[in-house]
Amino acid sequence: MTVRANAAGRSSPPDPAQGSHDGPPFALIARTRRGATIHALNAAARAAGLSRGQTQADARAMLPALICQPADLAADLRALEALAVWAERWSPAVTVDAPSQELPDGLEGLFLDVTGGTHLFGGEAGLLRQMERRLAEAGARSRTAVAETPGAAWALARWSGENGRIAPPGGLREALADLPVEALRIDDPTLRQARRFGLKRIGDLYPMPRAGLARRFQANGAKGDGIGLVRRLDQALGATAEALAPTRPPPRYRAWEAYAEPLGDTAGIESRLPGLAADLARPLEKDGQGARALTLTGFRTDGLTTSLSIRLGLPGRDADVWLRLFREKGIERLDPGFGIDALMLSADRVEPVRPHQVSTEDADAARHAESLAGLVDRLSARLGEEAVQTAEPHGSWLPERAERWRPALGAPPTPSPDPASDPRLRPILMLDPPEPVEAIAELPDGAPAQFTWRRVSRRVRRADGPERLSPEWWRPRPDDRQTRTRDYYRIEDDQGLRYWLFREGLYGPDYTGRPEERAPSWWMHGMFP
Amino acid sequence: MSDLLDSSNDFWPALAQGLEEVCVQGGRDMPAALAFTLSRLPAGDRRPAAMAVGRLWQAEHGRPYGPGLACAGLSSRRSGLLLISGRTEAEMLWTMEQALRSGAVSMMLGTVENASLAQTRRLEFAARDGEAVGVLLRQTQGGLNAARRRWRISSIESAPHDDDRRAPGRFRLRAELTRGRQERPGIWILEQDDETHRLRLADRLAGDGQGERGRTVVAA
Repeated sequence: MTVRANAAGRSSPPDPAQGSHDGPPFALIARTRRGATIHALNAAARAAGLSRGQTQADARAMLPALICQPADLAADLRALEALAVWAERWSPAVTVDAPSQELPDGLEGLFLDVTGGTHLFGGEAGLLRQMERRLAEAGARSRTAVAETPGAAWALARWSGENGRIAPPGGLREALADLPVEALRIDDPTLRQARRFGLKRIGDLYPMPRAGLARRFQANGAKGDGIGLVRRLDQALGATAEALAPTRPPPRYRAWEAYAEPLGDTAGIESRLPGLAADLARPLEKDGQGARALTLTGFRTDGLTTSLSIRLGLPGRDADVWLRLFREKGIERLDPGFGIDALMLSADRVEPVRPHQVSTEDADAARHAESLAGLVDRLSARLGEEAVQTAEPHGSWLPERAERWRPALGAPPTPSPDPASDPRLRPILMLDPPEPVEAIAELPDGAPAQFTWRRVSRRVRRADGPERLSPEWWRPRPDDRQTRTRDYYRIEDDQGLRYWLFREGLYGPDYTGRPEERAPSWWMHGMFP
Repeated sequence: MSDLLDSSNDFWPALAQGLEEVCVQGGRDMPAALAFTLSRLPAGDRRPAAMAVGRLWQAEHGRPYGPGLACAGLSSRRSGLLLISGRTEAEMLWTMEQALRSGAVSMMLGTVENASLAQTRRLEFAARDGEAVGVLLRQTQGGLNAARRRWRISSIESAPHDDDRRAPGRFRLRAELTRGRQERPGIWILEQDDETHRLRLADRLAGDGQGERGRTVVAA
């Protein structure tokens, strides 16, 4: 498909009302299959007669003074996603309407599910006014609309006049009837087809027999599913449900405060936090839930959000504990910018809290487990989750894989395996990765008699070994080098220090000593007490 | 054969709540110092031990290894080890104080080299609040601090192996109490007990070359 927006005769939605014409004409240029075309342009360029989708060469011919910059589509999407998080101040479920196969880019937007929440902002009209005002303050021009379906809201926001942006309940058909068919989010071939049939307004589609409409658009559609027109019409009118996938799963529990005077510093945020935490703890307690992860989000006046998350090992609803963890994490990490005018505390993960019934002898253990979880939470919040670790045994013969270190958050430390079940001696401190050692052995495949490690030469007095460990050939190595058999020796030097050395590789009958063959090498893997 | 080193033994200073300092004789004696410290964990306490280590210490000595810690007696108590890596000494001191005060750990080790008197006093109070033992694991014996006991540990030649004269046997170490609050300093030669994985006084009849010094205790 080489035909793009212009050739299909798709008219651009009218300009948003806000914005001025000052500043030199400016355009962002995107590389498309038609060459360099205008991706976005400012009001001054628009006033000079340029439009989206025009080639850069044409635009330059019409307006030599046009300033051009390459467009960064990925950054656009990132900015839209950041704006979606910011828009959570009006609704917990915000969906990014990203450019898709069907629609050319430049028609992106946000869907907010405001069901049952508009009264908080003074009704639907008040909500739209507040959204446009706040977005304008944040430097984004916007078009907004409220309707019962996402499709209708999409159409009304872009194509209706100033007074038709709120669809009256039950009046969707009338509200949409006068809008052009482009407002139905249909792709270019479908749009061309509709124009060929003389279907210009959405109202023209109402009297058409649906079966015929679907068949005609299926037969002539450029793509396989030509029922796009009927599907989009049904979606706009609410006959077919349309699922929206919010950018972040809406938290079931959140507490929210908006401020007339923006908060400008950490102390201000900190003073508001106890109230928010208490507000969040109340519904959690009512439902018998506890939070495992919490996020404090600050909505800044400049259209950005700043957030801070904490995690808990055990579900809890103790507001004081949350506050302490937020302080350990550092409330100063929230960047208020030019001011935060709303704060939201959301419970991202909740789990039911079960009251324990403890017998008297378990009371101490339960108390210790609880204080340990609290300690791990605090340390993880301050030092980072990766800094607080605990080992868990893992079934492998290779010493470095016999245990795994993982963050301690959310899981209590596991005991080391019982030495009685495994009598092999292991070092108390392990070097990972092993360090190379220069060793001299009396026999090629015997224990070393002397070795040099970290530039200190040590004479071996006693040695025990070898303990032969075969490589795990079923695990391919990333560097494609074959792992070799290891012979481990327990070594004691003449100062009474004990080490764990191994020789990687064997002087077997196959060993020829040619330079391309890797000679067996000695490594230091750990120290015994 | 000597008795096990338990708090019931009157010749052995009982492990008490508070802060201790364990210092190594030479740079390579750290495994012995770690084994000495961990093997003194109170047997009835089921709380885990925790250890705050710096990056530099890990690069020099490696990291604690679970299967090997089991040999040092950590597993007999069925609780694990919490490893906390700190970027700065201040962070590690903070970590130690938090852990000791919380009462969630039975022993908190820290590889802190420079701690002032005031900082160690804080740790001492925190350890008593949390009914735990704080241990400063150090390379060099520092200046004035509030530790109630100061040990110096060195590895010595291991006991002869029962079956193989050329193989290292049970490990032995020399523990010197250089300072103790209301305790007389002394030197103990200790060895690993195969059964309990704790330390006991070495049988000196075999002759380990150590002369009488200080209040050397001869096993009865």
